[in-house]
Parts: sequence; structure tokens; C-alpha cells
Amino acid sequence: MLFREDKTARADAEAVRKNVGWYCWTHDLVEVRGTDAHELLDYICVNNISDTVGVSKYTTMLNDEGKILDDTIVTCMAENVYWVSTLYGPKFQPLLKQYAEGKDVEWEDLTEVIGMYAVQGPKSLDMLNSMLETPIDDMKRFRMADNKIGDLPVRIHRSGFTGENGYEVYVKREELPQLHDLLAEASPKFDARELETLEVYVRSLPMEKGMALKQDMAGLTPSEAGLGWSVHMDKDFHGKEALETYEDQYKLVGIVLDEGRESYEDIAQNEPICHKGVQCGIVRQMIYGYTIDKNIGFAIVDKKFAEPGTLLTAGPNFAKVTVAEDKKFLD
Amino acid sequence: MALKPVVPEYKAVETAWGKLINQKDAYKFGVRHIAAFSANLFQLMRIIEPDWEKRTAAISETAYGFNMAACAGDDPDDPYIRAYYDEWNIPEFCEKSAWLGAIWGDSGDEYEDMAGRVIQFTRNRVEKELDTCPWDIVGSEMCNMTTGMFTANFDLTAVGRQNEVCLNMCEARGCGDRHCRVVAERRDVTGLDKQDWLHHREQPQFPVHNTPEERTVKEGQILRNGKYTNAFGEEKSFDWAYNWVMAMGWVWSIQFPLVAMGDMCDDDDEFERLLKIVFSIAGKNEFIDFSSYEGLRDFLGVPHDIDKVDSRIMGSYIKTLLDCQLVPCEFTAFEKDETRIHCDCDDFVGRYEMAPLDELVVGYEAQWNGAVKTLLSPEFSVWFEGVDTEDMEIVIGKKIDNRMM
Repeated sequence: MLFREDKTARADAEAVRKNVGWYCWTHDLVEVRGTDAHELLDYICVNNISDTVGVSKYTTMLNDEGKILDDTIVTCMAENVYWVSTLYGPKFQPLLKQYAEGKDVEWEDLTEVIGMYAVQGPKSLDMLNSMLETPIDDMKRFRMADNKIGDLPVRIHRSGFTGENGYEVYVKREELPQLHDLLAEASPKFDARELETLEVYVRSLPMEKGMALKQDMAGLTPSEAGLGWSVHMDKDFHGKEALETYEDQYKLVGIVLDEGRESYEDIAQNEPICHKGVQCGIVRQMIYGYTIDKNIGFAIVDKKFAEPGTLLTAGPNFAKVTVAEDKKFLD
Repeated sequence: MALKPVVPEYKAVETAWGKLINQKDAYKFGVRHIAAFSANLFQLMRIIEPDWEKRTAAISETAYGFNMAACAGDDPDDPYIRAYYDEWNIPEFCEKSAWLGAIWGDSGDEYEDMAGRVIQFTRNRVEKELDTCPWDIVGSEMCNMTTGMFTANFDLTAVGRQNEVCLNMCEARGCGDRHCRVVAERRDVTGLDKQDWLHHREQPQFPVHNTPEERTVKEGQILRNGKYTNAFGEEKSFDWAYNWVMAMGWVWSIQFPLVAMGDMCDDDDEFERLLKIVFSIAGKNEFIDFSSYEGLRDFLGVPHDIDKVDSRIMGSYIKTLLDCQLVPCEFTAFEKDETRIHCDCDDFVGRYEMAPLDELVVGYEAQWNGAVKTLLSPEFSVWFEGVDTEDMEIVIGKKIDNRMM
């Protein structure tokens, strides 16, 4: 849990919003290769997967019912070679297997091989430029390119999960300690900080900017989760048939805890959300946002109760919450 | 919600007279009676070993050893531990040496209706706070014992099987505190020394967060929300947790103290004599007053035309308890003067199949034989026949014994 008075967590959050925060951010990573790799990935993802080397795409994958199975970033690393970055590597691979038969495609779990640090915040570009062999001023969002820090080969991906400008620095797993030391060495000049509080960089910073985890979207279609923009109904993809006939029933919304209530200790994931005492949804996660200084959360509610300003309650003690204007609490 | 569409999802235990005990109450009844058995055992331990420090250190060491025995080697990445990472979807960016132990402990708490929350979860510090604990009747030695189990959770995931934290249960409901609170703080940050078993009840280095009563909870997530969800979104259902606790609850809260007591008392006959005495008086006190007797009749749905002195009341009570504890059993006689419950002895003692507990027969026979004296009449007794066989029967009937306890 995060509390208003937690000075360490606040310092972590402020570093990312004002300067630079960096932290180990190694995800599960699956490399998919073969002449049919693009075709396969494009079929199991709702977004168009780019086959341009160095370009990555955020996308969801759906189950048979058109509900979100996972959300990932798929990057074209070389001709017919793709990286799929996810927190749930073992869980999406059965989908690959389901459609791989007869195709020239194979995949390998690189999770134990590749490590990554996230470097996030308004000064992240300056900090990395001070370290890298080749400056990255011209790098666009969702692009990946090889580079070097001294003798250390790295791959830089302009992306992140904080809502700030930021980068992900990939190295071999055994080189993570070396990368850690290099980042620590470069930090003072940019008031950068190695983040200590997991919930700040996994939940608080992303939630302030409206960024959800897969678990928040469980059981929802992309549209219900606010990700309708990423679905390309003009192509074939797994789960499309179900989406074509489905009418949205729920919505992933932002909720704000009543100002008079200090915290959310009694509101775990999956607590009931009620309207006039009758359950109309579930909490996905509550957290404290240090930039906006509010207790905020995500909830899945019946779409009838998803209008901004709707007064609801959350949890066993019926804490008052209000549906936010947007799932994004901070521009 | 209208009942009709969800009838197939609703589960209940049916008493001998058709009263339905819903699944949540059945779970609570079953769990609380594991705790009651544990409380009896700790009374026995206090007789065998009068020194608080000695018995507390012994039980903590035993609990630690058993938890550590889950892994043979000293590789924190061995398959057993790795399976937990995968089961709980602990992301690669987590520093597992600290966090697996915390996640492990949190899930176990919630399965056992030790309702609360993870207050802090950082590389250097983990704080867990509980509002409820079904085992809060057992006493301070058990609260200390759990620190041995937590220590093992941290050691198992540490390089060289030596954790780097100072781990304190600085509050405990079994000691009268409002909350249970366990705090793990990294020693390289706090400068604190590694502790021995009697020094896990100290105050932590950094301030704790004390949740005010109005924001506490009365039940664990599995009862409130039908499932437990961990920090990374992985879930376990109430059904799963119910089955888990009816096996594992007997291991940590019954088997561990029994093993520790085996070392405290070399004389098996003397141990059994004391065990019978403790459980017998616990049973007699169970229904000593009118209100407990009346309450049980209501709980079981005993019809008004059934008299006070009727073996079926005690039989139904035992059968319902076993049903709620997920032990297969059935009536073979159900009459006013005699009730018999058939139960394969392996099922009765093997709540966790790999670690059967023969003491369950001795303990429950003594306890129920004590209870029937006050619930029905001293003319009635409870005894087991066919112990160690698949045709074991629990008998509630009349018996005269000139040396009755």
C-alpha cells in the first residue's frame, strides 16, 4: 500500500515526474523467429504489428471470447525476428502454439538471457545522452536501436510505463550489475534516483497517467478497457469473431477516494463497488498518487454507472468514491 | 441477486436434520476448530515444558526446520522455489530474496482468514498487518513460532539460504494487540544484528502504519470477495483456499507443536496421559452452560421433539464438524441411545495425506468424551472402534467405567 506520508515513495515518484528515476524493469521476453513470424504475431494481436526493423507496437491479445488475455509490446528486431515483452510470458505462448502448426516459426523464451533497466523522466534523454556512444535525440517513441555505453553493448527502446518521456535499456542478464553501476554513476548530475518502491513504478505513477496492467483489464474487451483504438477490425485476428457480436457491458474507470478518508487499507483487489448499496462492479486496484496527492483507483463497473461524477462505494466499509472524468488522472 | 440462476454455485454442509450451513460458515467452523485443537496442544506443551523461553525457542526451531525442509539444496532458484515464482507471477524485475517470502506469507494468511493487508513492500522493508486471526486463542508461543516459519520463507529465497532481514512480529493478536504485525527490514540498511528465536518480537527500526479500526476488515479476501488476489494479479478461489487450509492448517499448527513436544517429553505413555487429560477437560467445558447447549441445537437444526439427552445431538455435532473439515464420513447408526459414524482412519488422521496425525484420534476421543458429559449426560461416552482400520467408527453411546476420567 502507499500512503500520503511515505517519504521514500514520494521521493521516488517526484524523481520520475521532475528529473529521472531508474529501476530494474526486466520483463518476460519471448523471441519469435521465422518467415511466418510476422503473420502469426499479426494474427494473435489486435494491433497491426510492424515489420519495420526497430519499430515496436503496443497491443493486446484476446481469448476466444474476445476478452483481453495479455497486453504486450511487440518489436521487430530484425528481418523475421520479433521480441514480445510481457509480464506473463508463459501464459501467451499457448496461443502461439495454437496457430503455429504448418508455419515457419519458432520461439524462444529469452527471459533468463536479457535484462532491462527503465530510465524515466523529463531529464532521461539528457542523462542517457551523457552515457551513450550515439546520441538518441532523434529517436521516436516506440523505436528500438543498438547503442553502446562505453564498451557495453545496449539496446535502447524509447518507451515506458510512467507516462513521462523515458527509455528502456536492454543488456545481457549478466551485464545488469554493470549497467546498474553506470546508471548510478551518471545519476548525481541529473538528480536521478534509483527507485526503491515497487508500487510507485508498477502502480502509482502509471495509474496517475491512466495506464493499466493486464490484471486490471481481466474479463474485458479492449473497448471496455478503453483500448478500442488499438483494435484493427479490418484485419483477421484471434478473438475478432467474438468482438463483432459483443456489446459492451462494463467499463474500466478511474475512481477517486473521498477526500475525507485518509486511506484505503480495507480495499483490496476485487472488493465490491456498490451503487446505493447494490453491487455494480469490482475494484481492480487502489493506490496513492503522489503527483496529484489523492487516493485513486481503477474499477470495472456496469457501464450504466460509468458516467464521470457518479457516486459509488468501494470495499467492505463502503468507502465513498467518485467516478473520475477520465481513467487518466494527470495530463 | 435472484437465487434461481445461481443455485448450482451455492454450496453448503447439511446437518443430520437438514439444516444448511453455508460454505463460508462451514469454513469458519472448520478453521476455528483446528485452532481450538492447537490451543489444547499448546496447553499440553506448557505442562511438559514450564519454561516459556525454552518451549518457544523449540517450537520456533521446529517450525523453521520443517519449512526449510521443503527444499533440499541451497539454490534459491531451485525448481520448488521457481514454481512459486511462476505460480504467483512474480515478475523478473522483483528482487525475489525479499519479496517471495512476503508474497508467500500474505497468501497463506488470506487462505486462513487472517485478514489484513501488506502495508509496505519495498526492497528494504516489508510490513504486514492483520486485523483478524482464527488462531488468536492459542497464545504467545504460537505467535513466536510463526516468525520461525517466516524466517524460513525468507531464507529459502536468499543466496546461501541465509536471509538478509531482521524480522519482527512486533504486535500479535495472540498477545492481546489490536493487530498482528510482521515487519522485515534489511539488516544492511538498518545495521541490526541477525536474531535468534527469542528476539523476533522486537519493535522495527522504522515507524509502522497502524490502520484505524474503522478501516479494518472482519474477514479475509477469500470470504469477502470469493478469491484471494496477490499484488501481481494472480488469484486463488475460495474453494481452493478452503481445501488448502483443511490440509495445511493441520501441518503448521498441529504437527509442528507435536514434533516439538516429542523432543520435550521422551515418555510416550506420559505424553498420551497428559494429552488425554487436557483434551478431556477442554471437551467438558465446551457445553458447560445452558446457552452453549441451546446454541448448538439451533446451529444443527435439532427438532424440538428431540430430548436433551439424545446421542444423535452429539453425533450430529461430530459429523458436522468432520464435514466442515472436509473429512469423508457417514452415519451407520442414528438412534436416541446410540449413534455411530463411520470414517476411514486414514482419512481421519491424514488431513494432510503426507503427514498423518495419530494424535487426532487420541485427542478428539478424549475431547468428545468430555463434551458429551455436559452436552448430554455423564451416562454417555464417546469412543473410537477399529482405530487404524478403514472401518473405524466413532461411537456415541452409554458406558459405565469405574475409573472414568
